[in-house]
Amino acid sequence: MELQYDSVESVKTALGEQQYIASDEIATVLYLAEKLGKPLLLEGPAGVGKTELSKAWAKATGKPLVRLQCYEGLDESKALYEWEYAKQMLYTQLLRDKLAEVLSDADSLATAADQLANEEDIFFSERFLLERPLLQAINHDEPTVLLIDEIDRADAEFEAFLLEVLSDFQVSIPEIGTITAKQRPVVFLTSNNTRELSEALKRRCLFIFIDYPNVSEELDIVRIKVPELSEQMAKQAVEAVQTLRRMDLKKHPSVSETLDWAKALVTLNAESLDRETVENTLTVLLKYEQDISKARRILRGRDGGQGGRDLSEGGGSSYRGGDW
Amino acid sequence: MEKRIARFIAGLRASGVRVSVAESEDAWKAIRHMGVMERELFKLSLRSTLIKDANDILIFEELFPLYFGTAAPPLMNPQAELSPQEQQMMQEAADEVAGDLQQLLDYLLNGRAPTQEELEQMAQQTGLDDANSTYQAGRYARRMQRLLNWDRLPEILEMLWEKLREMGMDPQQIAALQQRVQENMEALQGQLEQFAGERIQDNITEEWRDRRQNAYDLMQRPLEHLSETEMDILRDQVRRLAARLRSRVALRQKRSKKGKLDVKNTIRGNLRYGGVPIELKMRTKRKKPKLVVIMDVSRSMHNVTEFFLRLLYELQDQVQKTHSFAFYDHLENVTDDMQNNDIEKAIHIVLTKLPYKPYGTDLGKCLVDFNDDYLGIIDQRTTVIVVGDGRNNFNNPALDTFQDISKRARKTIWLNPEYPRQWGTGDSDMDKYEPLCTEVYVVRNLNDLTNAIDHMLAA
Repeated sequence: MELQYDSVESVKTALGEQQYIASDEIATVLYLAEKLGKPLLLEGPAGVGKTELSKAWAKATGKPLVRLQCYEGLDESKALYEWEYAKQMLYTQLLRDKLAEVLSDADSLATAADQLANEEDIFFSERFLLERPLLQAINHDEPTVLLIDEIDRADAEFEAFLLEVLSDFQVSIPEIGTITAKQRPVVFLTSNNTRELSEALKRRCLFIFIDYPNVSEELDIVRIKVPELSEQMAKQAVEAVQTLRRMDLKKHPSVSETLDWAKALVTLNAESLDRETVENTLTVLLKYEQDISKARRILRGRDGGQGGRDLSEGGGSSYRGGDW
Repeated sequence: MEKRIARFIAGLRASGVRVSVAESEDAWKAIRHMGVMERELFKLSLRSTLIKDANDILIFEELFPLYFGTAAPPLMNPQAELSPQEQQMMQEAADEVAGDLQQLLDYLLNGRAPTQEELEQMAQQTGLDDANSTYQAGRYARRMQRLLNWDRLPEILEMLWEKLREMGMDPQQIAALQQRVQENMEALQGQLEQFAGERIQDNITEEWRDRRQNAYDLMQRPLEHLSETEMDILRDQVRRLAARLRSRVALRQKRSKKGKLDVKNTIRGNLRYGGVPIELKMRTKRKKPKLVVIMDVSRSMHNVTEFFLRLLYELQDQVQKTHSFAFYDHLENVTDDMQNNDIEKAIHIVLTKLPYKPYGTDLGKCLVDFNDDYLGIIDQRTTVIVVGDGRNNFNNPALDTFQDISKRARKTIWLNPEYPRQWGTGDSDMDKYEPLCTEVYVVRNLNDLTNAIDHMLAA
């Protein structure tokens, strides 16, 4: 693995093979993260491919991806491990006879309890341990790619707990002991910056801010992901999206929405980006009513001449309809 | 190089970027992997290890060229290709024309870069040590040039070439010399500019160290007596305070998690074990508060309101929902402004939304407005916070309206920058409002404000 990615360029090519177009910046920082063994904190607006990057990297390196989606109220039992009570209960029930046999030669309650205590390990062994993503990543025999998605949604307490895991890659389970990672996972954290992350967490990570791609980068992405779309259309679509991003909207269209739109255009067999097509498909790009009406208004204002012609054509056809 | 990186990190810190020791260590490690040869890679290694906040990237981009700018080229010795005889000639000619440009000619004709000592001396003479804005680097470099009598250089050089021609030096050789001296001039100019830029950045670093010591004292200072620079220092401080508050609040929340047994939830949760209560579910004792904030944005309250908003903004994740209202002569709902803008912009919007009118404050009317339009957002989990001095310009204080609001809310808290003995004097109605509040805090300075907010979130 190490031999394979010994330069920034090779990282970039590897990601490219997974259909992820990485800027020099992303490739460099990813290479560094790999070399220094540090978690990588990805920040940026929603839908610019933060999650996608970790998926692509997992594929490129052939490591399994373990994903932990954060949300408010996420706690250790959901992130790390949990005892599987039901299974423990079931085993106790089924093993009752065997237990009775083992304990049969005990002459007093105290010795029986002692003997039972000796067998205790069975019920708190890894057999009954329900591995959650963090433990999975640590316990895996091969190195994994651990994706901690939207860390900014988790509570501050969970972040503190995460620090412990990320700095040593070991967790302690009272009944079993300390489990240390056999192989250090490559860790990606993503954040939409809805709240400030703690200094301590940031300190442990390498940081990269991924912004919306520029026209040529986005065009490359569209070309790779939606090859069916004609070159001409792709260019127009990307330019339209970039214009929308410059507008004052509640939510700007993300890269993934550009791709959705491109796919929609392919499905609709659109031949050119005329006003009608754009207005009909605008809902793919914009998700707020206010944004849509604002975009429509501007669209109309911008190519007023063309809009007028469209209208007259429409009028003509309806008139013909009436005549008929 | 190492020294320069260390100074770069100090410079970043001075500009308000927090760089920990662990992070600078990471930067070293990264550089060891990446090397310093490729500028872009070098820059990225530093950036990804040192900068952890998208807002700080701008600062980084601004400072980086100052420290690792396309480094000014070194001076070359233009006489390297001259024969000993020609060198002799040159020496004589130079001595003859030099006059008070001796030092400058020495640099240019012998390719000797100014020593640190000489640079220090120039810095002193040009007042560079007092400069504290990086934009001034060019100006100070020009002052240093003037100190070396740079403006008379073309004239002197012309004389020198003339002299050499007279002495019979090969014209081609002279042309080559001219070329090389010209290059040296540019290099020297670059070096001076770089020196000035770095020195100014060092000054800023130095100044910032003093500033940080001041911050603690400033926290005790009444907010209305702060100058703009002092406000700036405290604004930096707010984030630090908020982080501390947050961990305190979060811990409190975690520790108090175990409340009474939640029967309904326990039964539901244990259905999968056939109703045997194996996992107990507890009620969360403390829920995140909902806040309704009503702020006075009159002149006298500007500073208090601003810091209150800043702290509240940083603590958003510890609060379930905040509705904010600003009042002066009328009430404005500013919840959306606070939500959709970053804090700097939001504060600006809120503070300018209600333009200044002399003797405009009318809290009574604003409370009635609130009662009419927004009473619905208050429920028994809502804490109402009023930030104001309770000075009402002898208008109707609308006490019964305030009582209605207060009754509906879980708690009513008043933050007032005036001392209790001032309440009820002049146009202050604070003494009448006070009994209707659950808690009243006197917030004179940032320290008081922090404590008040801590209490508020604890409740």
